[in-house]
Amino acid sequence: MSDLLQLVFSGLAQGAVYGLIALGFVAIFAVREIVNLAQGEYAALAGLSAISAVTAGVPLLPAVVLVVPMVVMVAVLIERLCIAPIRKMTPLLSIILTLGISTALKAIMLLIWGPQARGLPAFPGRDIVLAGVSIRSQELWILGISAVVGAAVVWAYEHTLLGKAMRACAEQPVAARLVGISPRMATMIAFGVAGFVGAVAGLVGSPIYFSSWDYGLGLGLKGFVAATLGGLVSLRVALFGGLLLGVLENLVAGYIDTGYRDAVAFLVLLLVLLVRPQGLVLKASAARV
Amino acid sequence: MRSEGVLRSYLPFAVLAAVLVVFPFVASTNLVNIGVFALIYGLAAIGLSLLMGLAGQVSLGHAAFFAVGAYTNAILITRYQVHGVLAAGAAVVVSMLIALLVGIPLLRLRGHFLALATLGLGIIVSVVVRELDVTGGTSGIFGIPKPEINGRVYDTPQEFFWLMTPVVVIGLLLARNLVRSRTGRALSAVNDSEVAAECLGVNTFALRLRVFILSAGYAGLAGVFYAYWLAVVSPEASGFQLSVKMLLMVVLGGLGTVWGAITGSIMVQGLDEGMRVLIPQLIPGATGEVQLVGFGVVLVLVIILLPGGLAQLAAMVTARLRGRQVERPAAGRSSPLESDGAPAAGGQGGHGEDGEPGSPYLGDVLDSAQIPERGSLVLSVRELTKRYGGVTAVREVNLDVYAGEILALIGPNGAGKTTCFNMISGVLAPTDGTIEVRGRRVEGRRPHVVAALGATRTFQNLQVFGSSTVLGNVAVARHLRSRSGVVRGMLSLARREERDIERIARAAVAAMGLADDADRLVKDLPFGRQRKVEVARALALSPMLLLLDEPMAGLSGPERDGLAALLRRTREAGVAVVLVEHDVDAVMALADRVAVMDEGRLIALGAPSVVRQDPAVIAAYLGTDDEADALLRQAAKEVY
Repeated sequence: MSDLLQLVFSGLAQGAVYGLIALGFVAIFAVREIVNLAQGEYAALAGLSAISAVTAGVPLLPAVVLVVPMVVMVAVLIERLCIAPIRKMTPLLSIILTLGISTALKAIMLLIWGPQARGLPAFPGRDIVLAGVSIRSQELWILGISAVVGAAVVWAYEHTLLGKAMRACAEQPVAARLVGISPRMATMIAFGVAGFVGAVAGLVGSPIYFSSWDYGLGLGLKGFVAATLGGLVSLRVALFGGLLLGVLENLVAGYIDTGYRDAVAFLVLLLVLLVRPQGLVLKASAARV
Repeated sequence: MRSEGVLRSYLPFAVLAAVLVVFPFVASTNLVNIGVFALIYGLAAIGLSLLMGLAGQVSLGHAAFFAVGAYTNAILITRYQVHGVLAAGAAVVVSMLIALLVGIPLLRLRGHFLALATLGLGIIVSVVVRELDVTGGTSGIFGIPKPEINGRVYDTPQEFFWLMTPVVVIGLLLARNLVRSRTGRALSAVNDSEVAAECLGVNTFALRLRVFILSAGYAGLAGVFYAYWLAVVSPEASGFQLSVKMLLMVVLGGLGTVWGAITGSIMVQGLDEGMRVLIPQLIPGATGEVQLVGFGVVLVLVIILLPGGLAQLAAMVTARLRGRQVERPAAGRSSPLESDGAPAAGGQGGHGEDGEPGSPYLGDVLDSAQIPERGSLVLSVRELTKRYGGVTAVREVNLDVYAGEILALIGPNGAGKTTCFNMISGVLAPTDGTIEVRGRRVEGRRPHVVAALGATRTFQNLQVFGSSTVLGNVAVARHLRSRSGVVRGMLSLARREERDIERIARAAVAAMGLADDADRLVKDLPFGRQRKVEVARALALSPMLLLLDEPMAGLSGPERDGLAALLRRTREAGVAVVLVEHDVDAVMALADRVAVMDEGRLIALGAPSVVRQDPAVIAAYLGTDDEADALLRQAAKEVY
């Protein structure tokens, strides 16, 4: 029993990281219908940059605080340089393009940081044991920060005028323009949000799951799977989808074989796409977010 | 003269073969070694190019099929000592079988989802080969002997290069033939306008599935050579990076051109080797897959600067040399990257239209064997209803259409006319009600099913196949009246059938007065003539039921008269014609019966003279638009 609880709890922490990445996918897709395959790279970049800063003697907190806006800027810059110049974006085009961006980012990280995986020092706190489940303080940090950031992004997209206008860009560009949001601006902000949640995911996860140049691929794909559970348009379902996926993976790794852990996400993806391509929770025509 | 053209079309392949045969004699062993890999990956890229360029589908996990081929071959040879040729054949078949199994569910997905699902497939395969004992786990399978044919061992780079040369040249040739075949024509049409292609009888899903399976076969065969050449198959063969590399080869070469795939693979393999050497020199201490940086950057640059790839560049250079401007990438083909199935934007206004459709001779085009007896029931619509949420676009419409009549469907804007057409042609599924075409229930079926029963349509918002010529557009309509499949297409065995298709397509084009434009790109034509292309295309299907959505919009007066004459002749041949039209004068003169819709209901149905005086009809038209004036004028004429 405590085995199960242990697996579920550490799965939740891992799943929170997936959920943040999934949020990044939805943040962009709900505005511009682009699946940004470079989403996971933001997390790897944030983790590795913060590790370098800490190694250079910067204390953990300032390092983390500095890295987040830097990654946001990288995400926005890439959008300006690579996404904005494309006049007519099709699914095929956006996939190849963001795949190219993702590949280039990965290789640049490999050049700078080399192939070894490294971890940030753990955030302050003490590990505890509760009902036979050992809980690392970092896992509590992950869950807490993910909850706050996730809630903030959901609130911003659902309840602020800016968020509503951005989502409207996908369907009602004229109406969005009337409240002062051009689709170009909305896309840029969406990439900024994606960079933000990606950076947070990479930073909180780094002490446990480590950061490496190729960490972003698997992470990004799992985030995508979680986002698919919400049909790529629901922020809330994306967050919970991430948690669900993390738990499921841990159960498979714990009870079946660790080697199959990485296949779980894609079996889930294939099943979801085959059975309900519009997502698990939404009706086909239900309102977004 | 035809055989001369055929010979010329094979010339580039002879040149390629010659270059490949000479290459190992003149190049260093190191270069030949790179060349071997270029050919191996090039073979896979040819298949991927077919999938992306022709079927319009992207696979981000194509290395999965490559790995399946490599592993199957390696297992059969090292464990079971199967004969090399047999093992290779089995490897290809297994790759194709897996593509069939995953393709049936996956190809129903669209756009982003299919791409990501193939990516998932790639990762599952690489997890599975790492975990299973039969695939040797993380270390893979060792000790695959070099191939030996008639006592000759292909163990040096030179020998192996020569072994692969005929395979690649033939593979390329077959792929090129497929692009030019009936299957290729249909899929190219699907890339331009899926809905129009389906309404002409193209079963998009079935064709895409075949190309998907075929592309897996190419990848599987490439995997076989990979296993032989490395003598080891490890999980790396299924890696994501390999999938990216293949994708880059296709994109760099230019989507939709099989030559691009082979050119792209040579360039990417060169880039790969170059970066591997260059980067560690520039940045000391760089290790691992650093050449990826080149892949990523090139991929992004190509998409932003040269979406048509090297093929676009080649077309631009050729055009510059010939001293004329290229308007569109890739020798007049729009890049599939830019086509999203949206209707081609036609130049507005048919200026300077010359005369009416020339002497229409429809005997060849309309096939009397396909047309039911005059007066028999061809279309029966009962209680047809379409609701969108709370809005009812079409409400309980009942309508019968008989062979050899012209029925006009009129009504104010938003009356539900086009929605009715969409449901009858299978583009939309009705909420309620039944549709029978020649006694077969078709409601909710796909458009190609309806087309197979002999019913086709034109579109109010033009749906021409923008990347092909007028003749090419019309030829797609012969899809159902011809049968050569993927294999015959690849072997180019359908010459006679192709001649028949061209003959009838030319007759249909001539019947619409478009003979002079037959070989022009349809998107270069003015709006009105594009509309005529759609009518010619629908006629070329040899339909027994023809649904025309505003065929006269954008036509000049004489052209309208010409079209009306053509439709009368079509009726004489026994075809049932249903047309939605706003030109009430033209409709009243042409139609045998008129059906009037208003706010989703059928409010009147009968002879023009009766409908014209129907008070409900006049009321419906009052104050809506100029049709009301026309109708009132007509009514006034009748009264006085």
